[in-house]
Amino acid sequence: MKRIFYISLLSLSLAGTIASCDLEAPSQSSMDASLIFSNYSMAEAAVMGIHQSFGETNSYRGRFLPYYGINSDIEWINGMDAAKVNDGGKYDLCTFNASASNSQMNTDNNAYAKFFEGIERANKAIEGIRNYGNVATQPDMAQLLGEALTLRAVLYLDLIKGWGDVPARFEPITSETMYLSRTDRDVIYKQLLADLLEAENYVSWPNATTITSSTERVSKAFVKGLRARIALYAGGYSQRADGIRLSNDAELSQTAMYTIARDECLSIINQGCNTLGEFKDNFTKLCKDITVAGGESLWEIPFSAGRGRVLYTFGVKHNEKDQYTQQAQGGVNGPLPYLFYDYDVEDVRRDITCVPYDWSKESTSKQQLRSLKNWCFGKLRYEWMDRIVTSTNDDGVNWQYMRLADVYLMAAEAINQLDGPTNAAQYLKPILDRALPAAKVTAYMSKATASKDTFFDAIVEQRAFEFAGESLRKADLIRWNLLKTKLDEAKNKMKQLARREGAYADLPEKLYFQTAEDGETLTIYGLNHGETDEEGLAMGYESNTTWISTEKLPDELIEVLYLQNPDEHQVWPIWQTFIDNSNGTLTND
Amino acid sequence: MKNMRTALLFFLVAMVSLSVSAQNVTVKGTVTDKTGETVIGASVVEKGNTSNGTITDIDGNFTLSVPSNATLVFSYVGMTTQEVSVKGQKTINVVLADDAQALEEVVVIGYGSVKRKDLTGSVATVNSDVLAAVPVASATEALTGKMAGVQITTTEGSPDAEMKIRVRGGGSISQSNDPLFIVDGFPVESISDIPASDIEDMTVLKDASSTAIYGSRGANGVILVTTKSGKEGKVNVSYNAYYSWKKIAKTLDVLGAKDYAKWQYELALLKDSPESYEKYFGTYQDMDMYDNIASNDWQDLTFGRTGNTFNHNLSITGGSEKIRYAFSYNHMNDKAIMEGSSFKRDNFSLKLNTKPSKATTLDFSIRYSDTDIKGGGANDASTTSDTDRRLKYSVIYTPIPLSNLDSSAGSADEDLGNLYHPLTAISDNDRLKERKTLNMAGSFGWEIFKNFKVKTEFGYDDYRNNDQRFWGTTTYYIKNTPASENQGHPAIRLTNTFRHKFRNTNTVSYDFAKLLKNDDHHLNLMLGHEWVITKSKELTNEVHGFPDWITAEQAWKLTNINGTTPYNIQNYLNPDDKLLSYFGRVNYDYQSKYLLSATFRADGSSKFGETNRWGYFPSAAVAWRVSSEPFMESTKSWLDDLKLRFSYGTAGNNNIPAGQLVQSYTSNVTSWINGYNSYWAPSKTMANPDLKWETTITRNLGLDFTVLNGKLNGSIEAYLNTTKDLLIEFPVSGTGYDTQYRNMGKTQNKGIEATINWTVIDKKNFGLSFSANIGFNKNEIKDLGIMNDFGEDSYWASSEIGYDYWIAKGGSVGKMYGYRSDGRYEVSDFEGYDATSKKWILKEGVTDCSSVVGTLRPGMMKLKDLSGDNTVSTDYADREIIGDANPLHTGGFSINARAYGFDLSANFNWSYGNDVYNANKIEFTQTGKYQYRNMITDMADGKRWTNLNADGTICNDPAQLAAMNANTTMWSPYTQRMVFSDWAIEDASFLRLNTLTLGYTLPKALTKKAFIQNLRFYVTAYNVFCLTSYSGYDPEVSTMRRTNLTPGVDYSAYPKSRQFVVGVNLNF
Repeated sequence: MKRIFYISLLSLSLAGTIASCDLEAPSQSSMDASLIFSNYSMAEAAVMGIHQSFGETNSYRGRFLPYYGINSDIEWINGMDAAKVNDGGKYDLCTFNASASNSQMNTDNNAYAKFFEGIERANKAIEGIRNYGNVATQPDMAQLLGEALTLRAVLYLDLIKGWGDVPARFEPITSETMYLSRTDRDVIYKQLLADLLEAENYVSWPNATTITSSTERVSKAFVKGLRARIALYAGGYSQRADGIRLSNDAELSQTAMYTIARDECLSIINQGCNTLGEFKDNFTKLCKDITVAGGESLWEIPFSAGRGRVLYTFGVKHNEKDQYTQQAQGGVNGPLPYLFYDYDVEDVRRDITCVPYDWSKESTSKQQLRSLKNWCFGKLRYEWMDRIVTSTNDDGVNWQYMRLADVYLMAAEAINQLDGPTNAAQYLKPILDRALPAAKVTAYMSKATASKDTFFDAIVEQRAFEFAGESLRKADLIRWNLLKTKLDEAKNKMKQLARREGAYADLPEKLYFQTAEDGETLTIYGLNHGETDEEGLAMGYESNTTWISTEKLPDELIEVLYLQNPDEHQVWPIWQTFIDNSNGTLTND
Repeated sequence: MKNMRTALLFFLVAMVSLSVSAQNVTVKGTVTDKTGETVIGASVVEKGNTSNGTITDIDGNFTLSVPSNATLVFSYVGMTTQEVSVKGQKTINVVLADDAQALEEVVVIGYGSVKRKDLTGSVATVNSDVLAAVPVASATEALTGKMAGVQITTTEGSPDAEMKIRVRGGGSISQSNDPLFIVDGFPVESISDIPASDIEDMTVLKDASSTAIYGSRGANGVILVTTKSGKEGKVNVSYNAYYSWKKIAKTLDVLGAKDYAKWQYELALLKDSPESYEKYFGTYQDMDMYDNIASNDWQDLTFGRTGNTFNHNLSITGGSEKIRYAFSYNHMNDKAIMEGSSFKRDNFSLKLNTKPSKATTLDFSIRYSDTDIKGGGANDASTTSDTDRRLKYSVIYTPIPLSNLDSSAGSADEDLGNLYHPLTAISDNDRLKERKTLNMAGSFGWEIFKNFKVKTEFGYDDYRNNDQRFWGTTTYYIKNTPASENQGHPAIRLTNTFRHKFRNTNTVSYDFAKLLKNDDHHLNLMLGHEWVITKSKELTNEVHGFPDWITAEQAWKLTNINGTTPYNIQNYLNPDDKLLSYFGRVNYDYQSKYLLSATFRADGSSKFGETNRWGYFPSAAVAWRVSSEPFMESTKSWLDDLKLRFSYGTAGNNNIPAGQLVQSYTSNVTSWINGYNSYWAPSKTMANPDLKWETTITRNLGLDFTVLNGKLNGSIEAYLNTTKDLLIEFPVSGTGYDTQYRNMGKTQNKGIEATINWTVIDKKNFGLSFSANIGFNKNEIKDLGIMNDFGEDSYWASSEIGYDYWIAKGGSVGKMYGYRSDGRYEVSDFEGYDATSKKWILKEGVTDCSSVVGTLRPGMMKLKDLSGDNTVSTDYADREIIGDANPLHTGGFSINARAYGFDLSANFNWSYGNDVYNANKIEFTQTGKYQYRNMITDMADGKRWTNLNADGTICNDPAQLAAMNANTTMWSPYTQRMVFSDWAIEDASFLRLNTLTLGYTLPKALTKKAFIQNLRFYVTAYNVFCLTSYSGYDPEVSTMRRTNLTPGVDYSAYPKSRQFVVGVNLNF
């Protein structure tokens, strides 16, 4: 009897167990979009998720920034060996010769994938904030929506620059939209222009709110500047399936696009939230991690102090851990050898942009000459930083995505096209004013404003001098349809330089140099036009070396500026791994 | 007188009638086995009155009072039960025959047991005899080489190293191929915490007809472990102890001081930076100072100490008819061969089996295990961030102290870790894992009416793992992960994993014997229900910015000292994993001649969405005992048993992480974004609401035979397994996510297995037996869904090598992918040396490998051009499949002999036909980007190409260079990167004498005076020898276990040791 009672009890408990056997098992340490996007600080952390994709190892951080755009008429990758350029790796990438199986890029965590990861996160954030964020009543939420729209536009713009037509994803992925084929870039451009127009309503001018007091957050000035930049690309030339041409879409006509660019740029300039300072200041501030809005910088990728390979790639090279850095890097990319000599001798941008030395292999290092074919970019320098970089791989300097000078030059370019040089001149002049002595500015301006064409040429030239080492040039040349023309011109200039002919005939063969009294600065004679070997010898410097010769800059090296016709290889192929993963929807044909 | 006679008669009759009903006789006797040895503990019971019984004593004697017409039942485990009628006898001596054919042996199968002769599926068993003979640390280790088709790979030599178990190859591609482990009915994650001495037997279910009863998770085989239970009878106390010494089994020879310096000099010149030599070594002219200098043997300093293990266990078993109990305690302390590495384990278990009444049983068991794994030996290479390697520094670290050389020397380094002092590298990667598991189970069984049984079981399993990791100042982690202000300072991570599993199983079974009323037909039925829920969470704490002087031990305790910054505190609760199942089985046989069993299981898993939640796994098996047929009568004299089996069935797999159905946001820590330390993002694995069960269909054909009076038995099996709807972590990068779990693709495993056991001699004082098994398996990927192939990188050289495994339709997992070596560039490959450009000019038509190996000069490594463009490039055009980690066959054999108290057993195992990817050899013979690294003697002076003139300059004179290298065979170690070519692929075939044991059991006559039932001393040697052509440490290795796709890499694995054990088994 007792046992029967016992067993009944057991059976009851069993029945209870069975009845409670539901098979739902929801995620626990996670949250729904409805909760995240109805709260500012959590929604902000979701927008930061987009930045996480920027910082992934082979995203902007390790691949796109180091390799995109480093193959123009003013920039190249250093250390090329003519015989080894065809390496299936980084040199192929920077010589218009990338194959889909490129060993640097053909990995599943490449920038191409991480950009789409960022886009997916942006899409989800945009959807979430629209649904739950009360944008109409909460300005901070509106700011976040605007940021998400803008970051998505940044990613798309770089996808198009890198790979041409790419799949358009403006909604979170579903199983139906898992596999998409390439979308015509016109469709994407139109969406981006519309998105940014919308975003303008959401985000504030720099310093108008606490959020926009930092250049690491998207402000109205950046949204407008980016919209202008996109308009110029959308209205310009690019290589398409049927060759290089302008868009056939009436909405993207050159006039319409110049109008957008003009209006957006003027809006920024007239708002006066940002000001042009000294040319050098912009870069020292960047190196010192100063992110106060209102200066020249419009927006920077906010790498933390332990992430990003900006100086690692673009900084002046340090050969060993020394008094300025515990990271012996820099000088991966550099200006073309002739660029330095094309600047006016008095142009303040010259010595900041092109650096002929690196830092010696000593723990207390000093400057030492590099070689004619291996200049460093000088806009970013470990020695300008306030902190010592300790990471072995990352330097933590932000990547400046856009600065006010670009807005001025875009304005000048657009207005010249729409209204002629007279109206455009006032926007070119401020850029020259801080670079050159007044007399030279006047002379240059009078030459430039002679006609629409001369003004355009001046824009082409000034954008080179202004932005060398900022990876804007290649895209500029493409939209002007000058890519091959200018690269050939650059080759020619380099050959003339190596032979000290033409514009370079007045350069000495050697450099004369010694270390200054401070024990680290290099004093160099022989870099300026008009300086001579005779005078150089007479300076009595400790050392001299042959700087310019066809051995220092051999023709074979000059020839590998591009390995294939750049006009037929304006963009990289989509990497093989993504082709393979695309269920047949993507091709490089 | 007549009255008296009447009275007497009456008395006699009364006596007789009394004796018929109540009069007893006292029977005495001795039970022996057929060798004449007395059987201790044999049960002697009166038939029909089981309450009247006894067991034999230490001399095999018994005394029992029974009615004179009774029948006695003599039984003993492993022997044939015998019945003897008393018929008034007072002395009955019985010889029990060994149940040698083992046909009556009961084999545990899912949710029940069956006699071996009635088995229809493919089942392999290892019993406690085999386990007891040789002491091993864990249950898994004991299985090595013992079962056909069960391949066990010890991935490294560290204590607690992962043991990879593959039953018939494994069908999954990206997911785990581990079998399902069931301990006493309870599904557990691992059996490595169970001491071998606690195990009664282990059974491996190999085909679907056996595994289908486990439905969902049986696709990769099921390993059933039954722990020891108490036996009715006398209290049995046994004590086992052993002590062992171990030494590293093999070391690699490295260059001596002089040769090292000489090569560093040449390397510095080749790198055009002689100052990088002079700074540390002095001038070339002074090189003779290295002539007789002693080298540090870092391998000896790191792995050279004598390790030892002490293990002892005490078990007490016993019981009566009402209650049986088994208690066991086991303690193991292992000082490993690596500096700072140790292992400690305590196990406790108690098992009670009670019989409250005739028809009911009530069982309870509890097992507790506490394991501490200490030191860098606890690190494994299963994640990419753990690339701080322990072995490599001990080989390539500078053999001589160089005054200025510190960790900043060598070249800047992306991911490989720099050149660090081997002992510093160990203390800087310190780790302590504390693992505790508690398992409790109770069950209640009731035979409600004859042959109708119900059983309910409850179980609870609790797992806690406290993993404490330390990163010192030389590690890659602290240079890169922390925020910049904390970079370069020690950091720790404390990971606490909690997992609770609750299980309830209810079964009913009925034997139709009564209904059939016919001895020819046997039918029984079992129906059941099971519910398993697993809850788990992981609490991770990462703290950065410790002061540089702190030690690991201190940092783990002082997490809050000034300066430290909490970096990541994450309490991650996994979604619950729930499984609800219904199952049933029918067994039918006719005269034990025609056998049929059919099972069906339905599983519902919370890992799948509403529509795909339930998986149905039917199976059936038939067997035919050919030997029972009348026409086989003539073979009866030598053929004991011959059985043919066939089975066909399905089994499932849901081996994916829970929570793949919905894309929800998780919070993540970051140190990459200025001003933010965390962000919300959806998982990088895209959700897939359409996931469903992976299904494996197996077909198995088997033949069992027993001949020569049970002296020889064996089985041969052939199988064909196909797995469809493979659950693959599918690469979808480019869409916005990295991967997505999908049901896609199909794989196939086919193979043949054979097992043979042969008792050559079995006499009273001596015996010899032999057993062997072999398994052939061939794995093939039949389909990869929308893909044709994809590459995978093992990542040992960070991203320098790229894909080194290739997974393709028509191939199998484990295909190694790389260049073909073409030796080296000879002087004759060049036109000559151009002094102005300082370059060697390659002849027209000679393959140009410069983009892979670096600027060409004679002596450089040369690779074959496979694409036909006369160059070898870093993209994948010049690589192909060059190796295969899959063996053609694996197996083992053992020899057991005994004579006059001595016993000898030798266990061998082998693997044949697989390749090993010797990444060590690549790193130890090539420079890559690095300077100051030592090399192994494959690259000794005289073997390697040299470019060095006697006067300390680089030789660029073709004739002289050719002459200098006329006798060298290897290329120059100078390369610009690590290059993986077929030179690094080596044959991994091996034959290992895994254990060799010699024991001596003291004569019983001697021991019984001390009331000792059994006393045995033994010595065992482990890893006695390993016959292999492999040049590295050990061919049985698999270091890069970040994914399942890169098996067989030998990279900086913890070296294996050779061990010598002395031990004692004591039984009271």
